Amino acid sequence: MSQPAMPPLLASLLDAPLPPSGIDWLDQVRREQRAAFAAGGLPDTRMEAWKYTALRALAQRRFASGDAAAQTHAVDTAALVLPGIAGPRLVFVNGAFRADLSRLDALPTGLVLQPLSQALQGDAEPLRFALSRQAREPGDAFARINAASAGDGVVLRVAAGAKITAPVQLVFVGAAAAVDLAWHARSVIELGEGAELSLIEQHVASGEQMHLATLVSAIELREGARLHATVLQHAAIGASLIRRSQLRLQARAHATVHVLELGGALVRHDLQAELVGDGARLDTRGVFMPHGRQHVDTQLAIRHQALNTASSSIWRGVASDRARGVFRGAIVVAPGADGSDASLSNKNLLLSPGAEIDTKPELEIHADEVKAAHGATVGQLDERALFYLRSRGLPLAEARALLTAAFCRAVLDDLPNEPLRDHLATLLLAQLPDT
Amino acid sequence: MNQTMTSDSSSALRDNAEVAEALGRGYAAGFVTDIEMTSLPPGLSEDIIRQLSAIKREPQWMTQWRLDAYRHWLTMPTPDWARLKIDPIDYQALSYYAAPKAGLKSLDEVDPKLLETYEKLGVPLHERARLAGVAVDAVFDSVSVGTTFRKELAAAGVLFCSMSEAIREYPALVQQYLGSVVPTGDNFFAALNSAVFSDGSFVFIPKGVRCPMELSTYFRINAQNTGQFERTLIVAEEGSHVSYLEGCTAPKRDENQLHAAVVELVALERAQIKYSTVQNWYPGDENGVGGIYNFVTKRGDCRGDDSKISWTQVETGSAITWKYPSCILRGDRSVGEFYSVALTHHHQQADTGTKMIHLGKHTKSKIVAKGISAGRSSNSYRGLVKMEKGADGARNHTQCDSLLIGKRCGAHTFPYMEVKNPSAIVEHEATTSKISDEQMFYCRARGIREEDAVSMIVDGFCKQVFRELPMEFAVEAKKLLEVSLEGAVG
Repeated sequence: MSQPAMPPLLASLLDAPLPPSGIDWLDQVRREQRAAFAAGGLPDTRMEAWKYTALRALAQRRFASGDAAAQTHAVDTAALVLPGIAGPRLVFVNGAFRADLSRLDALPTGLVLQPLSQALQGDAEPLRFALSRQAREPGDAFARINAASAGDGVVLRVAAGAKITAPVQLVFVGAAAAVDLAWHARSVIELGEGAELSLIEQHVASGEQMHLATLVSAIELREGARLHATVLQHAAIGASLIRRSQLRLQARAHATVHVLELGGALVRHDLQAELVGDGARLDTRGVFMPHGRQHVDTQLAIRHQALNTASSSIWRGVASDRARGVFRGAIVVAPGADGSDASLSNKNLLLSPGAEIDTKPELEIHADEVKAAHGATVGQLDERALFYLRSRGLPLAEARALLTAAFCRAVLDDLPNEPLRDHLATLLLAQLPDT
Repeated sequence: MNQTMTSDSSSALRDNAEVAEALGRGYAAGFVTDIEMTSLPPGLSEDIIRQLSAIKREPQWMTQWRLDAYRHWLTMPTPDWARLKIDPIDYQALSYYAAPKAGLKSLDEVDPKLLETYEKLGVPLHERARLAGVAVDAVFDSVSVGTTFRKELAAAGVLFCSMSEAIREYPALVQQYLGSVVPTGDNFFAALNSAVFSDGSFVFIPKGVRCPMELSTYFRINAQNTGQFERTLIVAEEGSHVSYLEGCTAPKRDENQLHAAVVELVALERAQIKYSTVQNWYPGDENGVGGIYNFVTKRGDCRGDDSKISWTQVETGSAITWKYPSCILRGDRSVGEFYSVALTHHHQQADTGTKMIHLGKHTKSKIVAKGISAGRSSNSYRGLVKMEKGADGARNHTQCDSLLIGKRCGAHTFPYMEVKNPSAIVEHEATTSKISDEQMFYCRARGIREEDAVSMIVDGFCKQVFRELPMEFAVEAKKLLEVSLEGAVG
């Protein structure tokens, strides 16, 4: 049997030269990960983790790497401003750090925030552990190519005990370029013991383009640390965006993650959390609202590995037109993680005959004294509720919008930053399908 | 979404002397019947299949059907997607046919030893059948040893016989329906079964007939180093109705034995089929040695409008259970149901659930799955609910609950929901919990022995499913749970 031809996507990504670092161990990791990417190829739908996300169309496309004009693209800074967010800001355009758009002066004490490219020029040793992490699963193609090719990204550290009040804003801009681009970014985020941080990760588009972007974030919370993270994904409607966020929570650490998936053509987010310390707690909230021909796939995986850990997850999906929403919410309670408390709810609205929702909540329990529950539904707006609103004079479209907004609202309810919460609610409303 | 409280149960109770003693009891069906057997030599090849087909005096098309399945099977990889610990199976070491020696013409000629076996197992063969009012087809290793109540059933127009007989007597019916629900190449074990199945039951309920009694099959694996591959086909014509029961046991043996069955149900317009199973194959001992590998494909096809197929299963036996009784809801307004209790103890592994494929308009399905894990066992629910584009107004509700008894067992839930119709509604909820201290304390304070308290609580946990079983079966199922749970308390 002859070797099948390498898909154009794979070939074009392998064409790009590895970013030079001048650091032996890092160059070594990058070479290994590139080799693993070449050998492993792209995941297909026979793999459980990619069952509902086919990459056939993407695999046939070519992407150029490296944007010579990354430093000069005009970006409307007004578009980066979010209500309730006025702290330090780090901006990347097509994967490259842009000092002119960032706001790094007067960083509060206890906060280290710099682009990865700069951090590697100094003492790279503290980054070694995070950057050496190997992607071993068969479906890890994008994590591998990211590890090999991401030359820039975020390094963020909060010193033990430091409480950073101003939210830190990380912005990834996809800007229109002469060709379809592929770019990769990597974040290493660490909160010391008892540290506190609010973080917002933003994906925005400047112009229409069809880029492929990958982002891998490693987020470590030490004992008693507290993180509020909000992800606002509003990438260009033609973009393919593949992200992986890996959280590790030590004892009594508490992370809250809010995710809004609005933009992109093919969007995949692997949100993986390990609760490794006793009493750690994770709350995840998210909405995905694909319309048109969007495909949005969220893969949530939470692993309870220590005593008395807790997680709660509330996710809502709304699919219309010919869009497809995919959700997997896997909760594993490892042997010995007694006293764990896990709950997950994923409710979905399917609004058009051409749309599809695939959801798979999973529970895997290997411990005792566990309280675990999950629920998932796929359905429509309540006819009676619609009737109630219409009988009070609301036009159908408005009644539907109101109910859909209320359906998604549970996800935003416990977002502490009020101006931001209101803004996100407005964005959700604007995204609602006109029916 | 439900949440169930759990809390600690007293560890002192684990040392209960009674419990330790009870460990010695257990599998009551574990005896061996010593009778003369005819069997094919171990190994699997086209020759063996031809021999098997010849012994059974099958027509040419059947032999060919088996050979096609076998050739397809050879190209298939062993499935590994279920996270089960399975020692590799040597398909060449198994014997694919074992039968009690003497050729049988009627039930009266059946070896008395064999009848004794069924007597011990409580199968109402012979006169006992009359009292119980259940028609039985009993399968001993590879062949059907006798079917009761033939005349009564024939008067109603119901055909109920062994599959071998059906192939000879009603070839047209068999040819029309066999493999129409589970095609020969459907999956690895279904392909293997299609190639080597030795017997099973055939039921045909003609148009408008309500089967006058409950039909039943009893399966028993007796011989060493044999696999049992039975094939059951039930066809219910327009407006007919049938309730079918299935029970299974096997002797205690140290090596694992393979059981790969295929069950096909076809329900035409307005027909109803109720299929109940109490599966009590030998589960292996407390160290996980021996036991049956139970790899079964069961599927029902609601072909006609307003038809209904209902699966009820109580799974307490087998070292490994791997089965997903499914419904294809093709006819408009057809209904699929799945009620399941799966209990695992010691080193047992169960991976079971259902698939509900909604194709027709206003189809409905209901899933109630209860998993109980004890010892070091692992118990998974794996299910799929699929709403295809044409399934307007289709509805599903799924409820999966797991009960953990002890610290070393696992309980898992893997539900898949795929929805392509915007007027369909799918709901799934699942909980995992353990028997709470409060419940135990309450019972113990009232003088109820710990073991009795546990079985009471477990019985309550399973009630929703037991209610669906025919009465005699419900009693048996309850007893089985009690026996299977012995020594699990703690």
